Amino acid sequence: MNVITDHLSEFGDGLLLTVGLTLLSLAGALVAGVVVAAMRVSPVRVLRAAGMVYVETLQNVPLLVWLVLAVFGLPEIGVMAGLFTSSVVVIALYQGAYTAEAVRSGINAVPVGQGEAARALGLTFPQSLRLVILPQALRTVVQPLGNIAIMTLMNTALAAAVGVVELTAAANRVNLAEARPIWIFVTAGLAYMALSGAIGLATGTLERKLAILR
Amino acid sequence: MVRTLVPRRTAVAAVAALSLTGLAACSGDGTDPAVPGAGGGAKDDLVAAAPVAANLPAGSTMEKIRKRGQLLVGGSLDAPLLSQQNPATKQVEGLDADFGRLLAKYIIGKPNVKIVNSASETREALLSNGTVDVVFQTYSITPERAKQVAFAGPYYSSGLVIATKKGAAGITSPADLKGRTVIAGANTPAIPAIKKAAPDAKIVTFGSDPECVQALKQGRGDAYVQDEAVLLATAKQDPSVQIQGKPFTSDPYGIGLKHGDAQMKQFVNDWLKQIQASGLWAKVWKNSIGTVVPGEAPRPPAIGSAPGSE
Repeated sequence: MNVITDHLSEFGDGLLLTVGLTLLSLAGALVAGVVVAAMRVSPVRVLRAAGMVYVETLQNVPLLVWLVLAVFGLPEIGVMAGLFTSSVVVIALYQGAYTAEAVRSGINAVPVGQGEAARALGLTFPQSLRLVILPQALRTVVQPLGNIAIMTLMNTALAAAVGVVELTAAANRVNLAEARPIWIFVTAGLAYMALSGAIGLATGTLERKLAILR
Repeated sequence: MVRTLVPRRTAVAAVAALSLTGLAACSGDGTDPAVPGAGGGAKDDLVAAAPVAANLPAGSTMEKIRKRGQLLVGGSLDAPLLSQQNPATKQVEGLDADFGRLLAKYIIGKPNVKIVNSASETREALLSNGTVDVVFQTYSITPERAKQVAFAGPYYSSGLVIATKKGAAGITSPADLKGRTVIAGANTPAIPAIKKAAPDAKIVTFGSDPECVQALKQGRGDAYVQDEAVLLATAKQDPSVQIQGKPFTSDPYGIGLKHGDAQMKQFVNDWLKQIQASGLWAKVWKNSIGTVVPGEAPRPPAIGSAPGSE
């Protein structure tokens, strides 16, 4: 067990970065997802098309390719950001595509009568979306959003490939010195499990609180 | 929404094509040989001149390997000059790859090698569960690692050097790395070496050598620390990268064997002594690292000289 206790600070730093990456990317993904989902159900054709292009482009290229393109490709055209910032933005935009699809399925689950009633009351499209549709839609997709949150957490490990020393990269570095891969990576795995377990618990609680009884 | 497959595929193909052009652009012009150290015909001479063990102890690991007819080597396919697959011929070329072939010839009589692409995270496990017989993969001998695996050798001694962008001033020795951002390959001995030379340097790691070079050129770090042979090859291909000073570490590379197999360790060490005495070792060096390092082959390190290889 010495391999772990001797390197607690490395593991701790890595864990903090993983948590930071996850939380920031999730916040970004939620914003991007809601905006894109709204675009995809809007009455404006150009917005619908743009939303679709966004989702299809982001979902159909692996995250690792996006990360490498952003870190090594963008500086070639003069756009250079830090490694952590680049990773947060890329992961947020990528997970935003999945979030958008989850939110859109929630919007489709809201009974048509709700939208019709909102219009009958004279609400504009943005108003009906904001005041009537989205609050109900988001409540129905708590569980899928929780899954996306767990997926985001797991995907932050890919940032290790572009130089961010999060939990996986930290474990790699410790292993380089200690050559005890099983202990080291089992520890990293348990840390990931604990984090995703926490996300799962939070989602369960939220869902029970927010569920709409129909 | 109607999901049609065709536009999606086109989009993916377009992105793939784009990234390929990007990669091709990084590897310099097409006139240079893509793989430094590609020896061509010289390799066959090496194998032809290589010794074959007279008799193998009954029941030994070596005998099992000879019965199988193939030596399973844990190694890389992407390490220039050491163990890199030539995309044109599919042959794996370089110092480590050649030594692997020679050892296979010594045991089996034919240079039959299967390289199992291993990583620094998996080497110890691959050896202990018998997936590979030996590891030839810039495997620096350390006392910590020697608790998990047995090391024959050292068969080669390398050192880390510092590279910067051409014309960068102020970094000529490891002490100058203090407080700087330094690029290193993930899972290379450069990471602990930088920590030792300049504890407050910020280390940024990337998975492969081309990525590290790209990052250096884009200014993501002030310097790049890597094995001398690898950096010499890089600097030869890319004039915008400059090597600063001489190697500041000494990394003894060992041949990884299953922990506790003293018989095989002795056997491999005997083989190393033989090829060092016959001059074959120097020929292997000339054929790989010697293509970028000028001068005669260095003196091979003494067998068992590194802590962890006794």
